[in-house]
Amino acid sequence: MLPLLTMIVFLPLLGAVVTALLPKSRPDLPRQVALGVTLADLALVAILVARFDVSGGFQFMERASWVPEAGIQYLMAVDGISLPLLFLSALLMPIAVIASWKIDDRPAFYFAMLQLLAVGMNGVFVALDFVLFYVFWELVLVPMYFMIALWGGPRREYAAIKFFLYTLFGSVFMLVGILALYLHPAGGTFDMIALADSGLPAGFQWWVFAAFFLGFAVKVPVFPFHTWLPDAHVEAPTAGSVLLAGILLKMGTYGFVRVSLPILPEASASWAPFVALLGVISIVYGAAVAFAQTDLKKLVAYSSVSHMGFVMLGIAAGTAEGLNGAVAIMFAHGVITGMLFLLVGMVYERTRTRTIAEVSGLSKQAPVAAGMLAFASFASLGLPGLAGFPGEFLSLVGAWRSELIAPGYVIVAAIGVLLAAAYMLWMVQRVVLGTQSGTVEGITDLTRVEIAILVPLVVITIGMGVYWSSLLRYVDPAVGALLASMGAM
Amino acid sequence: MAYVALIPLLPALAFAVLAPLSRAVRNRMRWVGVAGVAGSLALSFAAFAAVWPGGDEGEATYRASASIASVGGVDLALGILLDPVSAVMLIVITVVAVCVQVYSLDYMRHEERIGWYYAVLSLFTAAMLALVLADNFLMLYMSWEVMGLCSYLLIGFWHEREEPRKASQKAFLTTRVGDVGFAIGLAVMYATTGSFAFDVVLGSAAGWAPGVATAVALLLLFGAMGKSAQVPLHVWLPDAMAGPTPASALIHAATMVAAGVYLVARALPIFEASGIALTVTMVIGATTALVGGLLALVQFDLKKVLAYSTISQLGYMFVAIGAGGAVAGMFHLVTHAFFKSLLFLGAGVIIHALHTQDMREMGGLGRRMPWTAATFGAGALALAGIAPFSGFWSKDEILYAVWKGHHYVVFALALAAAFVTAFYVARLWFRVFMGAPRTLAAFAGHADTDHGDEDHGGHDGGHDESAADRRGETRWPMVLLGVITAGIGFSAPFFSEFLGHAGHWPDPMIASVSMGVALAGLGAGWWVYGRRAGAVDTEAIKARFRPAYSALDAKIYFDAAYERLAIRPFIRVTESLAVFDRIVVDGVVNGAAVLWRTATDLSWGFDRRVIDGVVNGTARLSRSAGVALRRLQSGRVQTYQRYVLGALVLLMLLIVVKGA
Repeated sequence: MLPLLTMIVFLPLLGAVVTALLPKSRPDLPRQVALGVTLADLALVAILVARFDVSGGFQFMERASWVPEAGIQYLMAVDGISLPLLFLSALLMPIAVIASWKIDDRPAFYFAMLQLLAVGMNGVFVALDFVLFYVFWELVLVPMYFMIALWGGPRREYAAIKFFLYTLFGSVFMLVGILALYLHPAGGTFDMIALADSGLPAGFQWWVFAAFFLGFAVKVPVFPFHTWLPDAHVEAPTAGSVLLAGILLKMGTYGFVRVSLPILPEASASWAPFVALLGVISIVYGAAVAFAQTDLKKLVAYSSVSHMGFVMLGIAAGTAEGLNGAVAIMFAHGVITGMLFLLVGMVYERTRTRTIAEVSGLSKQAPVAAGMLAFASFASLGLPGLAGFPGEFLSLVGAWRSELIAPGYVIVAAIGVLLAAAYMLWMVQRVVLGTQSGTVEGITDLTRVEIAILVPLVVITIGMGVYWSSLLRYVDPAVGALLASMGAM
Repeated sequence: MAYVALIPLLPALAFAVLAPLSRAVRNRMRWVGVAGVAGSLALSFAAFAAVWPGGDEGEATYRASASIASVGGVDLALGILLDPVSAVMLIVITVVAVCVQVYSLDYMRHEERIGWYYAVLSLFTAAMLALVLADNFLMLYMSWEVMGLCSYLLIGFWHEREEPRKASQKAFLTTRVGDVGFAIGLAVMYATTGSFAFDVVLGSAAGWAPGVATAVALLLLFGAMGKSAQVPLHVWLPDAMAGPTPASALIHAATMVAAGVYLVARALPIFEASGIALTVTMVIGATTALVGGLLALVQFDLKKVLAYSTISQLGYMFVAIGAGGAVAGMFHLVTHAFFKSLLFLGAGVIIHALHTQDMREMGGLGRRMPWTAATFGAGALALAGIAPFSGFWSKDEILYAVWKGHHYVVFALALAAAFVTAFYVARLWFRVFMGAPRTLAAFAGHADTDHGDEDHGGHDGGHDESAADRRGETRWPMVLLGVITAGIGFSAPFFSEFLGHAGHWPDPMIASVSMGVALAGLGAGWWVYGRRAGAVDTEAIKARFRPAYSALDAKIYFDAAYERLAIRPFIRVTESLAVFDRIVVDGVVNGAAVLWRTATDLSWGFDRRVIDGVVNGTARLSRSAGVALRRLQSGRVQTYQRYVLGALVLLMLLIVVKGA
């Protein structure tokens, strides 16, 4: 049988190398290669999804010794929690390539970086050996750093360095955690599956959790570690923002689900109230700050902080509903926020501004763009029937059910749903409706290509919102297995 | 009986067909919307016939369920439950929806986005039908929210103008305040029973701890108060009148706003398990009935009179349920849906004819618009509670239930509200239909048709003939609703039996009291507004009761209080938080970078040169951030690149060395 996961992860690496070597005389080749490679990668993931057995636990496992002296393995597999995220990553890649079609500054370097990013993103979601996991985790930083620093906005230097150092700062603690697990007598391996059965003492777990927490919390990002996010988003090119919000943030919450919960179950329980507290603060704080933003991208960036807070709440709950909800938000947020960033980028391309007051009144001049933006906004504010709802609803229900979380948190989080409606509608009111501003006058509506990259996201948003099982049929069994393995938590 | 599922699906399908089309095609295809609801209407009658004769035999006539998710071993489903209550609701919704859609063919024909109007109207109807067919609270909640979206879209239909834009946002957010309660109520319910299904939840409610039952009941009630515009969450409904009048008739009079009443009626076992929650429901309903009525008294905008009247009548329904007369409440829901949508359709004709909603600019329309006057008159008498029109019967049942429950204070409040209702009905009637025309348009005659004009958007009306009745599409829905309003009251005892309760004809004592009060209200209204002009100096009355009138004129300060105590402080807090985020939270990060540079001794185990290089670079950049926007030199990028890759390699080496 083919090593499907290896192919999925490393095909973009091959693409990156090829792209980098393309002759400078053909500036249109890099994007074509990148599109071909990312579409092929998506096709491979589609095969993976089709062959996936929903009740089969970890599948498509590839295990080989890598550095035998240190017990480091080349270990990859997917389960129902990582599969949706891998799919999301593969789905957003070709969209990101098309959204970058007009990049003409060093295109070979740009599209090589974009594909290198895919290697890291795909890798994180399939790696089950800590060293491999860590390599992919850090690998993601490099191309994203360059995308912001070279193709970003006016403050790109600052934003890129801040993004890089902040997340590196977090991942250093993660590395400490990995080493601690490896050096502890009860651990002694980098194998994440084996570590889940190792029965580490609770006191030790508590400290390791703290180390991993810093690494993951910066990535999510959870209040108060979030300030790199608005800067990175505002300066990043559209594709960078889409992937940053769509995939990179999920690496943090995925880390909690894949590492903290199964390997450190006792610590997860004792840390849960604190994690939930930060989650709830992120929900309300992110929403409130989003409300005050005048820049469209910043508004969406802070809304991400708020939405990721719901993920943290669901994870902290440690119940079936909460975890299903957490994964559902991760997926839905990737799709919905992807749409929002794409649209903001499309508007920016036409008006050269993202200031809300300067792009008001889109609906008359560009009804399709305005309609899509309104649709994505309603999806984002959690309207039932669209993808944003199931996750937030389940995480609220799961948190209420959890014995680890005080009811007061859930009530505050539910108010966050109201705030989401407030800042989103207030944005729609000004940008979509509103009186037409001068910059909007005479702009063209979306092109067919632009509509074509939005349509798959629209379809998924509706499909998942109406039929939750389209996603949860993969997630729920994996969550069940995870909870069972955590035992009497 | 699988066709029952088609009842909500047909309009949903109409939406799915219309929504993706281009505007021009969609405008031509509006018949798809009409066809959708017409199909639903036919199937609803079939479903009703299947439930017949109702009572216990009609319970769960048809059930179907489709799982949309399985979470932790529990199936969450979209399920259908056809029973007498839902059968009645199906008829009400589809009849009013068909009337409104047909009426709109004429009323909205000049709108350049009429296709979108029909698409949203269809989606709304689908959601409302799904809501009443739902067999679980989750599906009910989801339909509930989709209706909220449609309401938002229709209130803001003329979004080029600021008023509808603001009103749509206010409506969505105010009802969502209630929905926060609803959602938490669902969470508590699920934590208690592990299910959202009516069977499981309602069947076990009696055994819940009293605190839990009260909590769930009050949380659901809070959601219902938002949707059904009960004090203090009523503020959005009068503003919602900025939408097209036929949409107001369907959504903000007949169906969506009644969904809160339906929710409480459905969840009755939870309220009964609590006890106290019933009393709260009744008190809120009575307060709303009176406050809504009083506010209707001082409105000059025809649609706003009707909006406050709706608030008040919905309050009556809550009173009924709270007093133990859920069937009376449901009957009032039914009669109100017909007569209030009739009144709105009549108001639409008047507004189109006169180009104004201000009653002070109307008058004498009775002679000019006999059809409108006749049908509107039937609705007005029903609203005032005059036998034999439908409102009399349902109001009588409510008063009877309150009296039987020994809630004498609430009974007095309800009677006071009935008096006020009759009074403002008289005020409206005499100002609009009687007396002398007060404007040229009301005087009729001149035809200011502007059919060729393209610029129609932005006004509810504003482009039509003159003070004359309309024909065809506009008239027959009103006549149909008028006939229903005149006749449906006689079904009162049978309605109770259909829902499985003992039916009875009006109690003579209660009926005479309620008729007496209604006639007194009409008489007082006639005394003030109906006799020759200037017989009563309304200004003098206003002056005499200045404080009370000012309070009513300022909408009893609810809007102002929310503005001052909630909205403005919230905006101030968000602005301060944004500053806090930039200066403090981010300041710590930037400060740390500067400190880090100075404390180069601190080593994470990196190569010293790497840390130094990167950190120096950062700190320099952070300090200059936002000041100098320098271009990045490619040479430096390559340096960073080397540092980054170097760091990665070193980290890898560290692991391997430590591991070995």
